[in-house]
Amino acid sequence: MSNKELYSPEGLRLDGRRWNELKSFTCKVNTHQTSSDGSSYVQQGNTKVMCKVNGPLEPKSKANSNNNNASITVNLNIASFSPVERRKRPKSDRRIKEMMTILEKTFSETVITKLYPRTQIIVDCYVLSQDGGILSAVANSVTLALIDAGIAMYDFVSSINVGLYNNSIPILDLNHLEEGDMSFLTLGIVGKSEKLAMMLLEEKIPFDKLETLLGIGISGAQRIKDLMDEELRKHGKLLISTAAS
Amino acid sequence: MSTVIPKKRLASGLTVTQKVFVRSRNGGATKVVSEHYLRDDIPCYSKACTRCPEIVKPDANNQYPNFVLSDSPVYAEKYGHHYVVLDTNIVLLAIDLLENKDAFCDVIVPQTVLEEVRNRSFPIYTRLRALCKSDEKRFAVFHNEFSEDTFVSRLLNETINDRNDRAIRRCCDYFQKHLNQHRDKKVKQINVVFVCNDKKNRDAAAGAGIMADSLVDYVTNLPNGEDLLDFVPNMEDGPSFSHKKETKFPDYYTTARLMGGIKNGTLYQGSINISSYNFLEGTISVPSFKKPLIIMGRENLNRSFNGDQVVVELLPKSKWKTPSNEIVEEENMDANDNAEDGDSPNEIISDKERLFLLKEAQKASSEESSTRIQPTAKIVGITKRSWRFYVGQISENSVAKDSRTSNAARNCFVILMDRSLPKIRIRTRKAGELLGQRIVVAVDSWPSTSKYPEGHFVKSLGAIESVQAETEALLLEHSVEYKPFSKKVLECLPKEGHDWKVPTKLDGDEFIKKRKDFRDKLVCSIDPPGCVDIDDALHAKQLPDGNWEVGVHIADVTNFVKPNTPLDAEGAYRGTSVYLVDKRIDMLPELLGTDLCSLKPYVDRFAFSVIWTLDNDANIIDTNFHKSIIRSREAFSYERAQLRIDDASQQDDLTKGMRALLDLSIKLKQQRLDAGALNLASPEVKVHMDSETADPGEVEIKKLLATNSLVEEFMLLANISVAKKIYDAFPQTAMLRRHAAPPATNFEVLNEMLRVRKNMSISLDSSKALADSLDRCVDPQDPYFNTLLRIMATRCMMAAEYFPSGMFSYGEFRHYGLASEIYTHFTSPIRRYCDVVAHRQLAAAIGYESLDFSHRDKDKMELICKNINKRHRNAQFAGRASIEYYVGQVMKNNNNDTQEGYIIKVFSNGIVVLVPKFGIEGLIKLEVLGDANSAKFDDENFSLSFKDQNGDAKTISVFEHVNVQIKSVLDPATSKRKAQLVLV
Repeated sequence: MSNKELYSPEGLRLDGRRWNELKSFTCKVNTHQTSSDGSSYVQQGNTKVMCKVNGPLEPKSKANSNNNNASITVNLNIASFSPVERRKRPKSDRRIKEMMTILEKTFSETVITKLYPRTQIIVDCYVLSQDGGILSAVANSVTLALIDAGIAMYDFVSSINVGLYNNSIPILDLNHLEEGDMSFLTLGIVGKSEKLAMMLLEEKIPFDKLETLLGIGISGAQRIKDLMDEELRKHGKLLISTAAS
Repeated sequence: MSTVIPKKRLASGLTVTQKVFVRSRNGGATKVVSEHYLRDDIPCYSKACTRCPEIVKPDANNQYPNFVLSDSPVYAEKYGHHYVVLDTNIVLLAIDLLENKDAFCDVIVPQTVLEEVRNRSFPIYTRLRALCKSDEKRFAVFHNEFSEDTFVSRLLNETINDRNDRAIRRCCDYFQKHLNQHRDKKVKQINVVFVCNDKKNRDAAAGAGIMADSLVDYVTNLPNGEDLLDFVPNMEDGPSFSHKKETKFPDYYTTARLMGGIKNGTLYQGSINISSYNFLEGTISVPSFKKPLIIMGRENLNRSFNGDQVVVELLPKSKWKTPSNEIVEEENMDANDNAEDGDSPNEIISDKERLFLLKEAQKASSEESSTRIQPTAKIVGITKRSWRFYVGQISENSVAKDSRTSNAARNCFVILMDRSLPKIRIRTRKAGELLGQRIVVAVDSWPSTSKYPEGHFVKSLGAIESVQAETEALLLEHSVEYKPFSKKVLECLPKEGHDWKVPTKLDGDEFIKKRKDFRDKLVCSIDPPGCVDIDDALHAKQLPDGNWEVGVHIADVTNFVKPNTPLDAEGAYRGTSVYLVDKRIDMLPELLGTDLCSLKPYVDRFAFSVIWTLDNDANIIDTNFHKSIIRSREAFSYERAQLRIDDASQQDDLTKGMRALLDLSIKLKQQRLDAGALNLASPEVKVHMDSETADPGEVEIKKLLATNSLVEEFMLLANISVAKKIYDAFPQTAMLRRHAAPPATNFEVLNEMLRVRKNMSISLDSSKALADSLDRCVDPQDPYFNTLLRIMATRCMMAAEYFPSGMFSYGEFRHYGLASEIYTHFTSPIRRYCDVVAHRQLAAAIGYESLDFSHRDKDKMELICKNINKRHRNAQFAGRASIEYYVGQVMKNNNNDTQEGYIIKVFSNGIVVLVPKFGIEGLIKLEVLGDANSAKFDDENFSLSFKDQNGDAKTISVFEHVNVQIKSVLDPATSKRKAQLVLV
């Protein structure tokens, strides 16, 4: 597939977007009312992710119990039918483990864990379809599900990835073809600020380009935050109107 | 395949839909779904449009797109003022015509076409993209697939091709309507013409009200159509050649069969090398055989060109042959072929050729020494054509005399300058006019029913033998880029131009602070006389402890050539400067090469310095690398430097330093020779030009002075030191140069000749053994014999090559010829790109600046190396060809000289003689020598006996010293002026 123009001289990408355009973003909250305390569904392009949050609950084992804070456990399931070609990934896959660790660390910092000492918060994520940017879609869905569960957080974590094409052109929100061909950075931003809650880079990016990429990533993540905020407010209004009637 | 794909409108004015297709891989089918965004902000790029400039959006660098299509495009009676929309088949077949500057301006390339071209042929895609970039041609890519107005979904039961054709037609339709609607009312009506060679598509277009025409009809209707028709390539719809004859070349195997065969080991793949003496014999080196495979005869060669990537199948052992001893030239074989009437009078294999093959077969079967028989194969498929532009001229025989003045289109043959390639048949109206001119042709196809490949005329270079045409021809033949530097490249140069100066204040930016100030060192440069691009300069100073501080200072080119600039890209593309007898084709613009970088005397210059501490026996005690500033005290020529050193009355420090350098260099050389460095020879000559008339004057063999070797030794030392340093810093991607040991088979024939004729032998155990055995091979009667042998040994060597260090293990880095473990090129960054990369890597290794990504990436480095290896080789060939041409011209002036020559090769019907004085070698055919029928060839003893023209019996053999008369003749076949040798 590498015989495609990832970014044409006319400034269009493989799928017709420009360099700074997001994939089509939709999200829903409270999708699994019965099986969880909070749930969400996020779709970024053809990447589809579902998330369920249970907790705060009594820890199942003493190992997960902390006298001062709540402990957050993230489980990530990548469905074997989610990529283009069916592929089974064992739970012990190193990349999946790494992503789970990153998510746990990120949300331990954003959730106000000291409010829930000696409890556990279990986050289950399911990747149903992949088209690039899994980690950012998962992080976005976790944010929404945590909010839906009514767990106290300092702010949103909104996430996006940004790649560098040909060592010169920054490209926002990559799909899987683009991810395969350039090195990219996944960012998680706290609310509307420019604070980084999460950052992952698996390949090399020249140091002098990093700042540009961060700037573009941050503005992209803020746009995602607005979209999630809008959906949450819509959902909130719906709740109020049903409660009132 | 579902036909209804939902579209969803997004908030930002985009629509998203899905592209669904089924891909098969390894027998299984996979459904691939990808997003496809449709947008309303794709401009039409026409200057006449009033709407599109409002809607455009900037790209990542905040640049707005350029509206290229002119508001008053070309006018033709049939079409009015019009833009052209191209179909894929036109681009693929007629890219040369599209590049013509007299036609095809204001062209719209739909994205669908661009993608189809890209999938079919990447080189053509690159050329098309280059056209879209150039300002004069005004090509615009219209992304119809992404535009809301022109996107079409595939219908039920519609093939991909039909859908794409429909998409292109939709694009034409859109443009026509768009232009009618949004055109600036002050501008005249602009039409859209769809040029397509597919009749079905054209008919459908006409049905939809789109103006459509085939390429030939379109060109004919242009105002300057008459002149352009010649450039129209041969294709199905166009005027084609008739092939009445049923005999034909064997068909190629299917791709699946080829792939399968290569996989299971029954077929072999390689690049074919056709003998320059015998156009019916090719060889392929395949790893599974020790000896190269032979391919003999036109039918087995099966339409391959020299250099093609081919797949071969082994013939049964009974058909194996020995390499031919005969000289076979195409011109003699098929002189009578008629270009006009297809292949009717003769079949693909002529009788003469059959005779030749029969002789070869008899030889192979009768041979008692079956050791010389080699595996023989036939070509069953061609994976990659090496087709490019070829230079040649129209064969006089193929154009009938009486029709030379007429203007009708006719077929004629073009004989190429490269003897190992077949004639090409072209169709032209200007045959008479083009006779006697060097012309450029492109090959279109070689159908299995045609004896010759078919091509079309591209351009004329000028009259045969005119300096300009010949120079351009040889540059083209060796694909040397000789166009002037583009504006974009020149914009990368310092704005001050020649007034640029090294800053006087050394506390400027951080980079200047990191430089060492060496302006107090007594530096001088030693170069050939008249050298303007001075790469290197030297100094030496005795230290208080008796050791020597020696510095090599190299022009700091990378201070001006920064990575990822157009200037860098151009340098990387050219790879090397090319030196011709009368001309230099620079790798970098002249401002840098001859002024700002050049280490001219008496001015401050930036340099990259290697400073050693050497003891009195020239052993390295310490090595340091610095970016520096130097001031050269003097620029010497080799001769003047020699005179100054020899002049005992000169006792200043500079001269003393030079003497020390000379002493040390002699010791260094001895160290090198002890380690087994080879001392090879090549018959290099220099052509002196008359300074007033620029006519070539005389030819002289290059002289070597001690000062030549002074500079050379220190450059070698610098290269080796730098190679070690950058390999330490970048073990995977360091730019290095290696020279593999020659395989013993390369020397087999030479050793056999030596054994039989001189009772000598050369050993190949190591480079040291080779060097020693070469020294032993001296013929007391003939002082030149040793040099001759070195020349012949050089030809058996492998070529040195550039490579990134990750490609080989350390043991294979070895430079055989120099007997060095590791080597690179560092000392000539003005004229070699390898050195530029080495400079950047060294600068990063000493912490001067960070290394660009492209020099830290193994794949990118491999690409760079591949290109510079190719350029380097081509530059050498071009340089040699230029000398050959000028030597030919010199001969013209002093004809009929008698010179000494040596026989270096004996065939059963001729000999090859080398004339050291002029560095030329020439073939003498048996017919010229004497009576061809009485000749007897003894291939055991490498000798040929025959009766000469006076009827006296004569025997000549290889290495023999002969006197030859040199005549300058115009080769009737290739129209190259060559030295013809006649034995006296």
